[in-house]
Amino acid sequence: MKGKTVLFSLLAIVIAAILVMAPACSSASTTTAAATTTTASSPQILRLNLGAEPDTIDPNQASWADDKSIISQCFEGLLSYNADGSLKADVATVIPTVANGGISSDGLTITFKLKTNVTWSDGKPVTANDFVYSIKREFDPTLACEYASFYFDIVGAEDSYNATSDTTAQQAALAAAIGVSAPDNYTLVIKLVNPQPTMLDCMALWPVYPERADIIKQYGNNWTDPPNYIGDGPYILTTWTHQSELVFKPNPNYWGTKPTLSEIDFQEITDPNAALAAYQNNELDIVGLPVGDYATYLKDPNYANQRLLFPELTTFAFQFNVTKAPFNNVLVRQALSCAVDRNAFVNNVEAGVGQAALSWIPPGMPGYNANIGTQYTFNVTQAKSLLAQAGYSDVSKLPTITFSYSNTGSNPTIAQFLQGQMQQNLGINITLDPEDSKTFSSNVNSGNFMWAFFGWGADYPDPDDWLPGLFGTGAGNNHTGYSNPAFDALSTKALAELDNTARLSDWDQAQQMVMNDAPIITIFYREGFVLEKPYVKGLTTTGMDGALPGDTFYNLVTIAAH
Amino acid sequence: MTRFIIRRVLWLLLVLLVVSFVTFALMHLVPGGPWSRDKQLAPAVVAALNAKYGLDKPFFVQYANFLTGILHGDLGISYSYQDRSVTQIIMQGFPKSAVLGAAAFIFAMIVGIGFGMAAALRQNTWVDYLCVMFATIFASVPGFVLGILLIIVFSVGLHWFPTGGWGSPAQVVMPAMALAALPAAFIARITRASTLETMRQDYVRTARSKGLLERVVLIRHILRNSLIPVVTVAGPEFAAMVTGSVIVETIFSIPGIGRLFVQAVFARDYGLIMGTTLFYAFIISIANLVVDILYGIIDPRIRYD
Repeated sequence: MKGKTVLFSLLAIVIAAILVMAPACSSASTTTAAATTTTASSPQILRLNLGAEPDTIDPNQASWADDKSIISQCFEGLLSYNADGSLKADVATVIPTVANGGISSDGLTITFKLKTNVTWSDGKPVTANDFVYSIKREFDPTLACEYASFYFDIVGAEDSYNATSDTTAQQAALAAAIGVSAPDNYTLVIKLVNPQPTMLDCMALWPVYPERADIIKQYGNNWTDPPNYIGDGPYILTTWTHQSELVFKPNPNYWGTKPTLSEIDFQEITDPNAALAAYQNNELDIVGLPVGDYATYLKDPNYANQRLLFPELTTFAFQFNVTKAPFNNVLVRQALSCAVDRNAFVNNVEAGVGQAALSWIPPGMPGYNANIGTQYTFNVTQAKSLLAQAGYSDVSKLPTITFSYSNTGSNPTIAQFLQGQMQQNLGINITLDPEDSKTFSSNVNSGNFMWAFFGWGADYPDPDDWLPGLFGTGAGNNHTGYSNPAFDALSTKALAELDNTARLSDWDQAQQMVMNDAPIITIFYREGFVLEKPYVKGLTTTGMDGALPGDTFYNLVTIAAH
Repeated sequence: MTRFIIRRVLWLLLVLLVVSFVTFALMHLVPGGPWSRDKQLAPAVVAALNAKYGLDKPFFVQYANFLTGILHGDLGISYSYQDRSVTQIIMQGFPKSAVLGAAAFIFAMIVGIGFGMAAALRQNTWVDYLCVMFATIFASVPGFVLGILLIIVFSVGLHWFPTGGWGSPAQVVMPAMALAALPAAFIARITRASTLETMRQDYVRTARSKGLLERVVLIRHILRNSLIPVVTVAGPEFAAMVTGSVIVETIFSIPGIGRLFVQAVFARDYGLIMGTTLFYAFIISIANLVVDILYGIIDPRIRYD
């Protein structure tokens, strides 16, 4: 009798504890719950999942998409992007052009006029000096800001940035020599070493958002914690519980049209299945889906009015190491490109979400050309013929091919798809080599691979972010080893070409060259797929969003009554 | 006893030193560094980052700088979270992992000891079979499966608890259950075996034959003696639970330090790796020391000199 009593009494204690807590807790959570009663209107609160804790939300130092999602809410810069990818003027009065005198005829001086009514969240006015401070800080040698290299065409920028072992006095002198100045409070002048036609695109990015010198000097590293995080954007970051959530409320001193949303919550749920459960439990209004769940939620009629698909400026490809046999033979590369059924990939691996890619630059940005790469349309006969021309009519004569990839997300599925295609279509058995993410990056960067997974997302919507840095001889992101003097010459010309039509035509030619030589096999243009509650209205996705779809235009979102 | 404790504390310092060196060395030997990423950074940026964090110095200089920092109580900077120091990150996360771990520990001890004793006292009856069955189930179901199951049943299905997060007592229940399952099973098995052995001892038979109430025999004689092996495992179990489980914290979005261990390694965040590893080593060492002292108190036969 004693054993049973011990057992039952313990079970009773445990169950009683759960039952006592349960009813009291059905609505308790750290997220603010949206009202679920059917009243005439609902609270204008948007609850999202950022997924990861941001690295840093200091605009000069930030480089990751989730950092960008946060910075976009609290700051506005000189320029930004419309939903269609064209530039618009935010704090600047107009976009500088040669015609309106904002850009000098030699392209070496850019002058911005600032609006005079822009204010910080504490009411102080935003002036050109705030931009001068921020841009110079981007090149501070003690900070090692990761996006600084995008702005090295500014006079003195690179010298200041590299002065890591100089004395403080020397560093100060170099900082003073940077070609950024404010002749008056509402005029900003930038001097360039080379006429970089895409400098305006770079000026629309977050590393050159204005910053408050006095706040940063006073609080140092703690300036990014509320309430010190002063910005000029539509929202203020009111709460940041590290590793847990961020809460934004409207900026009462915002100079523009006040947004409708009265609160935005970013949760930090790292497990995608837990995030989906939170969405189903009405704790989130929008949630991303793991690729493996795409098919389920595309078919489920209960989610018919909750599906949101949107294009991203991202292309995935398989890159060859063109210095290693057999990939040093262009015919072999072209053959393998013809042997991959890209439509099967999109349908089977991505459940139809995304588009098959034959060219490199994705649709939705300048430089996209649907006619490039059509020679690689799926054609097994063509593939075998090319292999025969290369001397491999018997594929067993090929050296063993290893395909490397980072063992995260849906990469294993993608790799297995490729393995299946090679086996089915050509009878080639490739070996798969999954690696830890950093190991993979390190191996790829040092050329320690034969064939590897490769992806690229736009930093800004222009071909010069997609071509010279990846396919130029010895370029920083050229892991294939591709080297084509004609391409290099064309790149050099296009990078300084001030006539936009001629420039885009040059880049088009350059893309054609690369695709003909096939150092990479492009596979698909990625689309995003999220679930969105039907009462969320006005979400506007763009190619320049951060980690969350539509996060550059939350001022357009409203919550319908529900 | 005092000499014993002093000796153990000195050992603790030596252990921490060795752990720090081995971790530091392994960290730098592993392929890939903190700046390896798919979109390769410009060489000037990599150089500037290495200069900023002292990674351009020779290995032993870096290690010496690290040790100097530790002596000043500075665990270093994190590369993943640039606005906070490693000390700040750990101090922000540890209380949450500790509360969760303590709750899970209490739960595991109550359920484990209760099931174990019940099974032993009613050996080979349905009580025994039921308890052993539960223990086996808890031990076999992987943590992430149990976690998601709990969310699906109790959150999405019954709406009793929120799916995750931290801040209210309701959010402790499910993660504590998920975290306690395996230790509870483990403790139940040990308690059962130990109780069975104790029950067969001569002094228990003597106590019964002297006419003592079964309740008195149970509490004064069987319970205390069967718990000795349990105390031995309870210490390290407590240390492991209090420093956070990466799986439970990920599934339930708990901002503790469990996730940090694994994230730091994947990100090659040297500062955070060293800080969390040393912290974990410290907690385990202290827990083992406490267990050894308790051991001496519970079992009068054991004396330290």
